[in-house]
Amino acid sequence: MTQSETGNKSNALWNLFTSVKLTLGLLIVLAVTSIFGTVIPQQEGAMELAERLSPGLVSILSSLQLFDMYHSLWFRLIIGTLALNLIICSLHRFPSALKRFQAAPKLDRSKPFEDLPPHRNFNAAGKLDEVLTLTAGVLKSKYKRIHQKESEDAIVLYAEKGRFSHLGVYLIHLSVLIVLIGSIVGSLFGFEAYVNIPEGETINKVRLRKNETVSTLPFDVRCDRFLVEFYENGAPKEYRSDLAFMEDGKVALQGALLVNHPITFEGITFYQSSYRPIAGDKVRIKLSRDGNNPGPSALELIRGNTLELPGKEGHFQVVEVAEDFRGLGPAALVSVHPHEGDKKEFWIFQNFEMIRKRFPPAMLRSPSLDPSAFKPYTFSLEGVEMKYATGLQVSRDPGVPLVWTGFFLIMIGLFVTFFTSHRSIWIRIAKTKRGLNIRVAGKANKNPVGIERELDQMTSKIKGKVEKQSPV
Amino acid sequence: MNSIILSYITFVYFASFMLYLLMMVMGKEFFGRLATFVTLAGLLGQSLAIVLRWIESYDLGIGHAPLSNLYESLIFFAWTIVFLYLLIEWRTKNRSLGAFATPLAFLAMAYASYSPTISSRIQPLVPALKSNWLIAHVLTCFFGYAAFGLAFGLSLMYLLKKREKPQGSNVFIRIIPESSILDDMSYQMVVIGFLLLTLGIITGSVWAHSAWGSYWSWDPKETWSLITWLVYAALLHSRMVRGWKGNKLAILSIIGFSCVLFTYFGVNYLAGLHSYGKS
Repeated sequence: MTQSETGNKSNALWNLFTSVKLTLGLLIVLAVTSIFGTVIPQQEGAMELAERLSPGLVSILSSLQLFDMYHSLWFRLIIGTLALNLIICSLHRFPSALKRFQAAPKLDRSKPFEDLPPHRNFNAAGKLDEVLTLTAGVLKSKYKRIHQKESEDAIVLYAEKGRFSHLGVYLIHLSVLIVLIGSIVGSLFGFEAYVNIPEGETINKVRLRKNETVSTLPFDVRCDRFLVEFYENGAPKEYRSDLAFMEDGKVALQGALLVNHPITFEGITFYQSSYRPIAGDKVRIKLSRDGNNPGPSALELIRGNTLELPGKEGHFQVVEVAEDFRGLGPAALVSVHPHEGDKKEFWIFQNFEMIRKRFPPAMLRSPSLDPSAFKPYTFSLEGVEMKYATGLQVSRDPGVPLVWTGFFLIMIGLFVTFFTSHRSIWIRIAKTKRGLNIRVAGKANKNPVGIERELDQMTSKIKGKVEKQSPV
Repeated sequence: MNSIILSYITFVYFASFMLYLLMMVMGKEFFGRLATFVTLAGLLGQSLAIVLRWIESYDLGIGHAPLSNLYESLIFFAWTIVFLYLLIEWRTKNRSLGAFATPLAFLAMAYASYSPTISSRIQPLVPALKSNWLIAHVLTCFFGYAAFGLAFGLSLMYLLKKREKPQGSNVFIRIIPESSILDDMSYQMVVIGFLLLTLGIITGSVWAHSAWGSYWSWDPKETWSLITWLVYAALLHSRMVRGWKGNKLAILSIIGFSCVLFTYFGVNYLAGLHSYGKS
């Protein structure tokens, strides 16, 4: 390959990326492909769908990464190509925009005065310098700086504003890039995780959303209390977690976490995101002997505490409490330690009567599900004290300030691009045999209607003032 | 009380739609003036009802701006369309857009008031909606939607006007402004809509950051608002850089507004975080 061929090739590539046709194509491709992910459930939601579809279809969809398409390589590649297109297009066009931005005022142009509508070309009586002062005064009311150029038979006044309007588009493009960079910074150096903390418990480990791995926080978080309030109609009114952030065993920060009111501690932000009722440590148990009806009073027991059996055959304790054991409702794991023989462990259920009716007796004969596994006693679970576990979103995103900056600049850029224009105004006052001739001309890079309106207003103002000064 | 007034406003907007149509068909200025009067009366009545609803929510002890569910958003959508339309009518002194704008407002009001699945009860705010961003987010989004809605109407008018034959054009077509004016107005509406949609996405994003812990979650409504944004971004580039005008732009603007409608209604049939807008 010769040098010129490589040159041509890279030129062709450069030309492709400077084209707005490519931009339009990419914008549409990005818009259309984005639809897939709104129709196909993503991430966690995809599991349910996958069970209902045929394995062939599932493997096609998952090889196209359509179950997590917004994080897939091909989707990022489209965004990356669009970003590259945006950068190259902007670089390609920016120099000429900068030239227009920096251009020296051109006072001696005759082109703006061509095809002037008749009403912006009028004669006036009076002295040149008086008319000049009046005209300059009108111009000055709207434009800060006025340039003036005198020639033998005429004076040209020139003023302009809104040069920065040429740069608005580039500000928008730059801010889009800043937002994109912010999102990359966030995904490289930040994390998104979640954790459930039961009331009264302390954690320092959270689970990352990205790959479900466990990550350790540099501090401890304790949930002192979770509160959920409801309106009269049953809709939730408030979710609140009272949290304590602890370092070296000492509470460093304490606060109430509410939806919409996150708490940040050492750069890591906690958000109230969900809750669920879970079993507490207290249970109520009744004991009966030889199948007799148990006494009226239930024993209150705290998990882990040991109690002696009524007949002094040994002692027992509740080892585990579950709010919902394998879909069978609240349950407790009882462990009996007799003075003679092996220890016995079995689950007892709060809904035992219902379970006995619904399931075949063979299933319940398993020793680990038999409430009478330790003869001659039968255990029954009367109640489980419930408490809450609060579900928190835990995240750190160092890209956020960049994203916010991008958002702010994009609004300024849009405003500059769509609502400002670079306006130039020329007023030529010429000496003629019959007095003075005034012409008002102008141009704008945007909003042609607006500049025409401004020129008309300016013309009639000048006319009015000049005629008042020295009536024709 | 407020919802009874609002259900009557539906008919007021229907009447203004009919009057604008009459003006277009008969070519009589009188119907046009009457239409403007009726529409303005409807807007005032609707504003009053919205304020009453706001006050009523405070009387119920669950005070919040009436922008919190599908019913309230539909009412507000109709309000923004009529408000923006009347502003344009006043600025341009042309009423033909009325025949395309008022039916949108009428449909939104009718859907809100007479759909069996939409409750007009004032509901308390769920925790996620208790935020100062609610008003900013909903306001910017719906003004944006309304501007896109009017651009859609103007694009339809453009396509109609283009089909006009030099001989025997009927009154209806003749009252519609020149196609170059329509093209320009439609573009201006898209610009306003784009600015507001951008602001709507930004306010939503900042809000999501404090409510959900992430400024962008690819939730279907977020994604569809981005799709809408991309379509209108393509429209603006095709006009500003490629110099496209006329038919192509009118069609893009119609596609854009279908994306708006899907972002607003269609997304309710998909699972996602924005479930407050469903009923």
